[in-house]
Amino acid sequence: MNELSFRCDSPVLDANVGVGHRHDRPSPVEDAAVLLAEMDRHGVDAALVYPVQGEQVSALDGNDGLHEWVDGADGRLLPLWMASMAPESLEQLQQLHASGLVRAVRLHDTTSTSTPLTSWIYGDLLAWLQQEDLPLWISLADNDPVQLADTLSAFRELRTVLVGAHYTHAPYVLSLLRHLPRSCLELSRHESLGAIEDLVTQVGARRLLYGSYYPRYAMGPVLWGLHRQQIDSRQLQRILDGTARELLSR
Amino acid sequence: MIADAPVIDFHGHVGNWESVAMLDEPSPMLHAMDAAGVDRACVFNIFHPDGRRANDSTAAFVARHPDRFIGFAYVSPMMPETIEAELTRAIDDLGLQAIKIYPPYTVFPLDHEAWHAIFAFAQERGLVILSHTDDGALSEPRKLGTAAERFPGATFVSGHSGNIEPFRTQAIEMARVHDNFYLETCSTYRQPGVIEKLVAGAGSDRVLFGSDQPLMDPRTQLGKIITADLTDEEKRQVIGGNARRLLGLD
Repeated sequence: MNELSFRCDSPVLDANVGVGHRHDRPSPVEDAAVLLAEMDRHGVDAALVYPVQGEQVSALDGNDGLHEWVDGADGRLLPLWMASMAPESLEQLQQLHASGLVRAVRLHDTTSTSTPLTSWIYGDLLAWLQQEDLPLWISLADNDPVQLADTLSAFRELRTVLVGAHYTHAPYVLSLLRHLPRSCLELSRHESLGAIEDLVTQVGARRLLYGSYYPRYAMGPVLWGLHRQQIDSRQLQRILDGTARELLSR
Repeated sequence: MIADAPVIDFHGHVGNWESVAMLDEPSPMLHAMDAAGVDRACVFNIFHPDGRRANDSTAAFVARHPDRFIGFAYVSPMMPETIEAELTRAIDDLGLQAIKIYPPYTVFPLDHEAWHAIFAFAQERGLVILSHTDDGALSEPRKLGTAAERFPGATFVSGHSGNIEPFRTQAIEMARVHDNFYLETCSTYRQPGVIEKLVAGAGSDRVLFGSDQPLMDPRTQLGKIITADLTDEEKRQVIGGNARRLLGLD
């Protein structure tokens, strides 16, 4: 191993991994064993996995299929259950939660489903998550930022993780984090020049967390990039797994 | 340098573009380059079709750190009357070392004769042309391939390597067919195995690391190469060896 190779040697939790085939996007990752092998290649200890089937078509079906990924993975694959606008989706999450299986939930793609992210559509779901103190992952790539900011600000105690910010979001990510003081930012696509160091300074590493968006994106590049940030080792470790562990531990 | 291997970023922008948080300032780029291990970056300004203002901007940027930046000239077929004189001025007077073209800011596909004046200039001087390529009708790699065939004395670099499939595969095919056709790696699309596919398809001597900074941070983009499943020697070629050869920096 030299500088031309890289494998992380400190604890890492990848907070953004999609599993299964989507209706329009077959996955190159056949099963949990393949995913775990890729994690091992990069030194990733654990991953928060969500069923991509739930992004645009069915959170219900996606969640049903998620069990086969997390069961038998020795606790290395942690479930991120999907939520849609349907009352049945909330009922499913409540049943899973009653069984002690829910630590976090991810909202589906409200843009492609043409269901605006408003309190009169998603209010029951958001109120329940807030009541149960369950963090909600939301993709900035798949949800209107104005609706997201306006609707979530009405649920002041709800903890959220904003996923997939792109360079097109760069001009207002900091404003969004300030507008939603209980939000964190997942970093898989947030690669504008110097953006991570700026955010560490502005909002602190405890509001940032590593994610890869694998297999939509490769697992290693962001991880290597994080190790080249001019931040101290405690801040780095916070981003690598501390923030995610804290979000999931309550 | 990484493991004593020079690192050259083949794709960087200068100029201001506020809506994507891009400012014409070298210090953030130098900070990220130093942190990543990037020795030098190729830069250009694509925002002024007359070329003059763009190239003056690039030359001024390079002049502040001539040991770190390499300037490329920009001209547009939208203002054909300016091309030859401006390229002559940019290369001979300003010292810019290659040419950048950007079809999306024109109405001409890359196989249109409106581009020929630029290609002919590059052929006469033996210059490198870096062209944006993607899935758009103006920027398909195969159309840049027709230029590579017609102007064998110039060297053509497919920026973003077509960006997404099937245009990435198309770019690889062009590199296989034309000895003067190269692939450059920057892209927000960082699917697993992309770099490995470029190297396997075109050869490690035909792939160039680029970051698209400051739109993207070179630390993540370089991470694509470092964490790819390539040999050390292949990585050395991609991260800088090939660029040094193409630009005559040895």
